[in-house]
Amino acid sequence: QEDGHARVLRRQVEETLRGSRMVAVCQYNSMPDEDVAALRHFLRKHDIHVKFVLNEVVRPVLAQSKYRNLLPLFVCRNILLVSPETRAREMLRVLKGVPQVNLLAACIDDTILSRQGVENFARLPPLEVSQGQTVAALSLLSSQTSSLLQRGPAHLTALLDQHIRRLRDAEGPTEPPPG
Amino acid sequence: KMASKMRVALRPVKSIVVRFCPFEPNVESTRKFLQCIYHKKIQATNTNCEVTADVRHDGSEPVVDVTFADGDRLIMKGANLTTGEMLTALESRCNAKDLKEEQKSKKRNP
Repeated sequence: QEDGHARVLRRQVEETLRGSRMVAVCQYNSMPDEDVAALRHFLRKHDIHVKFVLNEVVRPVLAQSKYRNLLPLFVCRNILLVSPETRAREMLRVLKGVPQVNLLAACIDDTILSRQGVENFARLPPLEVSQGQTVAALSLLSSQTSSLLQRGPAHLTALLDQHIRRLRDAEGPTEPPPG
Repeated sequence: KMASKMRVALRPVKSIVVRFCPFEPNVESTRKFLQCIYHKKIQATNTNCEVTADVRHDGSEPVVDVTFADGDRLIMKGANLTTGEMLTALESRCNAKDLKEEQKSKKRNP
């Protein structure tokens, strides 16, 4: 019977991991129940869900999944923060006010990140902004090249114009006015 | 469960920093120490004691760094210590300081 229950728990963990782009592993230290409820509430606002996990249940599931490199983290009491999105900034902001929960590492979009890695990831600008910045940087180079290439002929044109004007001014007084 | 057997009184403690690299294999006792320190009975002995977890990823050794109110430091390297040993060490230091404080106050008010 116990094995059946463990099997159900394991399947739940598998399903949770399957549907998540972000899986953060945190050490859980004693917290009053109201604080746990508040933590769940604030994280849920950002579509991040708190899952209490037992190491005996979670370890076999991880060992056979792409998360096997997270296995060393599963000693002592842990919780998983899972989300179908990758809102690391919001997660860190909520966790800042909860010293009893210590972020150990996370797996975001199939990439395992240390705590520092998650902080760096959170500081990245959104994808559209990054794409805009890349396009701007690339087009800056080509517009600089274009203006560099035009400088020679433009200078030559200006010099020729000035020369023509000087010639005209020199001939000017002898030419009859037009019309 | 260990914490209920230990009577660690954090009164003379100013702050505790628990530093470890979670991917290293020798951090279990240090992490358990952190878990025990957060037990409500121990936290209740000094709500001004600042407990911080410093999670690294640089292969450094797990360390518990205790700063006392009188400026003393207790640094415990968790790699080769059990949680019980670290808690006992902290407990005996705290008791010694409490005793010293009691004796000092008795001298002041005989």
